[in-house]
Amino acid sequence: MIKKPSPAYALSLCLLGCGLVASAAHAADSDWKRGRIYYRQVCTACHTAELKKPIAPNDRTQAEWAAYLKADKHGKGKDTVKHYFSSHYRDSIKAENAAAAKYANLPEKDLIEDVRAFLHKSAKDGDSPAGCS
Amino acid sequence: MRTGIFMAAIMASMLLAPAAHAASDPATEKLLKSTSDHTKFKALQQKFNSGPEVTQACLSCHTEASKQIHKTQHWKWEYTSPEGQLLGKKSVINNFCTSVASNEAACNICHIGYGWKDDKFDFKSEINVDCLVCHDTTGNYRKPAGLAGNVVTKPMEFPPGSGSMIKPIDLKRIAQAVGKTSRDNCGACHFFGGGGDGVKHGDMDSSLASPDKALDVHMDALGLNFSCATCHLTQGHQVPGSRYAPTAQDKGDAHLRGKEYTSNPTTCQACHGQAPHKKIAKLNDHTDKVACQTCHVPTYARGSVATKMSWDWSTAGRMGPDGKPLTRKDAKGRVIYTAAKGDFVLGENVVPDYLWFNGRVKYTLRTDKVEKSDQPIRINHFEGSAGDGKSLIWPVKIMRGKQAYDPVNKTLAVLHMAGNDDTAFWTNFNWERAVAVGMASVGAPFSGKVDFVATESTWPITHMVAPAKDALRCNDCHGKDGRMNWKALGYAGDPQSGKK
Repeated sequence: MIKKPSPAYALSLCLLGCGLVASAAHAADSDWKRGRIYYRQVCTACHTAELKKPIAPNDRTQAEWAAYLKADKHGKGKDTVKHYFSSHYRDSIKAENAAAAKYANLPEKDLIEDVRAFLHKSAKDGDSPAGCS
Repeated sequence: MRTGIFMAAIMASMLLAPAAHAASDPATEKLLKSTSDHTKFKALQQKFNSGPEVTQACLSCHTEASKQIHKTQHWKWEYTSPEGQLLGKKSVINNFCTSVASNEAACNICHIGYGWKDDKFDFKSEINVDCLVCHDTTGNYRKPAGLAGNVVTKPMEFPPGSGSMIKPIDLKRIAQAVGKTSRDNCGACHFFGGGGDGVKHGDMDSSLASPDKALDVHMDALGLNFSCATCHLTQGHQVPGSRYAPTAQDKGDAHLRGKEYTSNPTTCQACHGQAPHKKIAKLNDHTDKVACQTCHVPTYARGSVATKMSWDWSTAGRMGPDGKPLTRKDAKGRVIYTAAKGDFVLGENVVPDYLWFNGRVKYTLRTDKVEKSDQPIRINHFEGSAGDGKSLIWPVKIMRGKQAYDPVNKTLAVLHMAGNDDTAFWTNFNWERAVAVGMASVGAPFSGKVDFVATESTWPITHMVAPAKDALRCNDCHGKDGRMNWKALGYAGDPQSGKK
């Protein structure tokens, strides 16, 4: 016999569902254009200046970008990806970098989500693959 | 039961916490600029299987939109000039991919409609209007080449039998996220004119989708962030500022809000007026002779995207040692030859050519007789002179090339380039067959012979406005090594030195 869930448990499942939907809606609210600006004017600019080798969004698949952001290892683990979204980092470059200055007060997680949204759509297998420019 | 209540409380707090946070922190709240949330419209809460289905839903609220679009150049691809020439993409021949006729299925991905594949297209159909190409905000809307401007909503192998799959788009999601036009919308076509990124205009390419201030002071994504429509101020879907109807000299004042104007809102003067230089008023002495763009767009193709400066069709069709169509790249990895198109010369950070321009442009049309000579055929010609009182010195891109013509009938050739058939040039590399089909498509006579003639076309340079600090200085034009060819402009020498 299958036990009927209590009303409170059913409510909790409902709310959990709502929570997931809300979370998805939040992801959909990410500003991919702001992510594009940060990626190009901070990430690409630095890679071009320091390494002479920018990484285009369409150099990686969606899964590869997702894995990269989840692993949070930058420079083969020398530091974290998050560091480059932190307010500390933005403060350190904002005198020379207009994007870092413009977004100096933006919450780090918002900026990461924006860049994540841009990379997701612009990846090799994304809806709109994008190169460096 | 108590466990259930506890879980409900936890879940409720998870759900409500972010909302409470957002409400308590105005800095993170987004101001909804539109009065409409399109996700809430019933008409858009459905699965769409085609573009026209979306348009039908749009029209259920925006009842007049398609009727407005039907009156635009974006829809008709036709424009009759003040001189009586029938222009527009539908008619003109250029020296890039040359012409739309007989290539509709490929070219018309940039038509603001669905399904224009031949001369049977219904220009009166309201649902054939493509709302999303201009109003998509997701950046994911695509119209694949070869499908006559239609969209793909299910995985599709194209061309059939190629094994190449087109990824479908989610029309419902895109339709629910529509908004005002952005640089990305306009750029989806205008950045890629001539068959690729930056190819045609020189001052418009994908670098303007998200430019910095150095590339364009107005479109600077971190600054003024102008959309195209900020200057190309649109009313009733009529977009002003077409190159077919240029304004070479605007003697009007800066436009005021609330006041009605009939003049072109896209000119510099429409915002900056007649005396824009406040700190160095002497510079205002130039504005009766020199277009603003001449000093303020010192070079074009500045965004690391090369533009084509020359295109030689006469060398197209070469096969490599493997018998396959040949491709060559330069040291930077940029394509400079393909069997499909011939040889290219690319340019970045290019100093413009300069000429007097009075706003009148004369075109060589496909019915005009042309003679092969040492001088290139002018596909279009910017008219003007130093003394006509209507002209200013303008910066332009001169596109040079060689293209097919009929040496017997002495007309420029209409070329059937693209198509999954055995007459298209890109399929069989046979000029005579491709031109025969192209000329037949417009009812033009064809002798059966094909030769090549040198051509040049002129394109106004008006975007990529640099910051004031990067504008031309006196010596850039008047100095010993100044960039102006004064003799070509009708002067005996540098007018500053007294030679007029």
